[in-house]
Amino acid sequence: MKHLVRGAVAWLLICLATSATAATRNYTLYITSGSIAIHGGGGATLAAWGYTDVAGSPKFPGPLLEANEGDTLNVTVVNNHTLPHNFLVKGLTTDTTSILPGGSRTYTFTAAAAGTYLYYDTLNNAVNREMGLYGAVVVGPPDGSNRAWTNGPAYDFHRTWVVGEMDKPRWNDVAGSGGTVNTNVYKPNYFLINGKGGEDGMADSATTIDGGVGQTALVRIVNGGQFSHSLHFHGNHVQVLAVNGVRAAAPYKQVDVINVAPLGTADVLFPLNQPGSYPMHVHTAQMETANGVYLNGVVTMINMR
Amino acid sequence: MYDSTKARAVLAGAALLVAAVATAQAATVNRTLSVRALNKTMSDGQRVTFWVFGSGGMMGGGTLPGPVVELGVYPEGISTTDTLNLTLNMMMAPQEAAPYNGHTIHLHGADVPTAEDGVPETGAPVNGDTYTFTPTREMAGSYMYHCHVHTVKHLEMGMYGALIVRPKDAAGNWLNQITHEPATAYNYVQNYVFSTVDPAYHSATGDAIVFADYNPRYFLINGNEGRSASAPASSLSAARNSRVALRLIGLHSTNGTFSIKDGAGNAKPFTVYVQDGRAYAAPETKSSLDISPGQRFDIVFTTPSTAGTWYPQIVYKNLRDGAAFANGTVYGRVTF
Ligand SMILES: [Cu+2]
Ligand SMILES: [Cu+2]
Repeated sequence: MKHLVRGAVAWLLICLATSATAATRNYTLYITSGSIAIHGGGGATLAAWGYTDVAGSPKFPGPLLEANEGDTLNVTVVNNHTLPHNFLVKGLTTDTTSILPGGSRTYTFTAAAAGTYLYYDTLNNAVNREMGLYGAVVVGPPDGSNRAWTNGPAYDFHRTWVVGEMDKPRWNDVAGSGGTVNTNVYKPNYFLINGKGGEDGMADSATTIDGGVGQTALVRIVNGGQFSHSLHFHGNHVQVLAVNGVRAAAPYKQVDVINVAPLGTADVLFPLNQPGSYPMHVHTAQMETANGVYLNGVVTMINMR
Repeated sequence: MYDSTKARAVLAGAALLVAAVATAQAATVNRTLSVRALNKTMSDGQRVTFWVFGSGGMMGGGTLPGPVVELGVYPEGISTTDTLNLTLNMMMAPQEAAPYNGHTIHLHGADVPTAEDGVPETGAPVNGDTYTFTPTREMAGSYMYHCHVHTVKHLEMGMYGALIVRPKDAAGNWLNQITHEPATAYNYVQNYVFSTVDPAYHSATGDAIVFADYNPRYFLINGNEGRSASAPASSLSAARNSRVALRLIGLHSTNGTFSIKDGAGNAKPFTVYVQDGRAYAAPETKSSLDISPGQRFDIVFTTPSTAGTWYPQIVYKNLRDGAAFANGTVYGRVTF
């Protein structure tokens, strides 16, 4: 009885604390096949499957799902593809039931804690994810302010970096033409940031860190790929706020490299403190190329004025 | 454009000197690095060509990794700073054909102006230049330098070395500490530069499909294979009850897990004080540490009061599932 009362009081407190802003967010994602174009040296068109929130071609990565802490999300996933798929938000949902071709399923869940999450298709031994079925969920504090979490560090603007890679000949070409992938062998030859490679990533204003000295950027990184990505910031250090959803306490570690494991996440704070232009790239050899051609891969720019 | 940037930096430096109330005299560390080819016969008999940095003159050779470059920072209250001027001498340097000809030095982890960053794509000159770095007191720790031309190849070729920012006392003498914090004092120090070698990268040039698929066959600490505890890549003879600092510098292109084990295979604790050239607010004591490409850690451990041998070691692991590579464990050795 005591527990019940305490539980009820706690629940009431939560409701009071969040009722001011808690909202219901409805998203519909359609799964369909498409392709990813990698421009620049070594570029190619890769067979892909993806989520999209509008009719037509899939988006790579899938659409950004945004909410504030305490919000309820209803994500309806419509499978317009020829194979079974699903939708899991790591750390927020547990339902891995298959959605058959032509079917749909609505996932209802609470944006439990402010932070960065990865959603993806867990089916088919990572083939579906390899084909592009992943994206990010970004959860802000309940009041929707520009803070990493309630009373957490403030920022002026934010970026979401969804990184991954693709093995064109052994996975995408095979799966895209209806074949069975030998998942024992994985030798990715394309490396992506927000679905782009190299110069495309460096020119994409949704990806680059662009701002004036004195501003602070929050960068949310999710790794939908199968390789660890070791992201290196040239000429600058970032503060590590959270790794895999575990928040750090201030003072935050300052690093110029953040390693994000497959299916992992990291939130870093980037104080813009000197004018200049600097690359951010993954430090492993092959991830700076597209099919072996330099300069491509997981790279973007930091431009400070 | 770069000259004017540098002129401004020099003027700012001069203003600092005038304003300084330091007892110490700021040092200007002038170093010149050249680039040389180095052929190494690996443990399986295969010969691999490396490109390496050396500090010798025109006829001098180079080493894998390149020469250690050290730079001092001063205690609190002293506004003097050391400045590193690292000049790249391109005489007789082996290089690729255009567009990947030439070399640069990227001061990895150093917060420097764009013009000192060594990246051709953002405007840094290739074919020789002087790179300047003036660290502040908070930047004591380990860094690395490496070429940033056609990085997929040149880094792999061996164009890297350790860059150490070390504390000095008020009089300008080196302190045997990782930072100015006395708790970071050590009796012995060694660099552990981690790297991996895919020989196919070494014989390929230009834009080649081999660069899409990294298959390391040789695994190194300080340029040595060190494949068994009895033939370590690096060794140190230390006193008992002494403090040993290791500067862990990740120039590999795989994952890696570092640990220190005794002869029976038990992991020994060590304390991490600095990561990526920035001190932790609270040092962390660990029995293993994952090191990813580009990361650096400055650690200290204490040798026991009884004689013995410990083996600092790294297990190189693949980027997909973290499985250890065959022959991917490289040993160091510390006897006491
Ligand atoms: Cu080079
Ligand atoms: Cu680097």
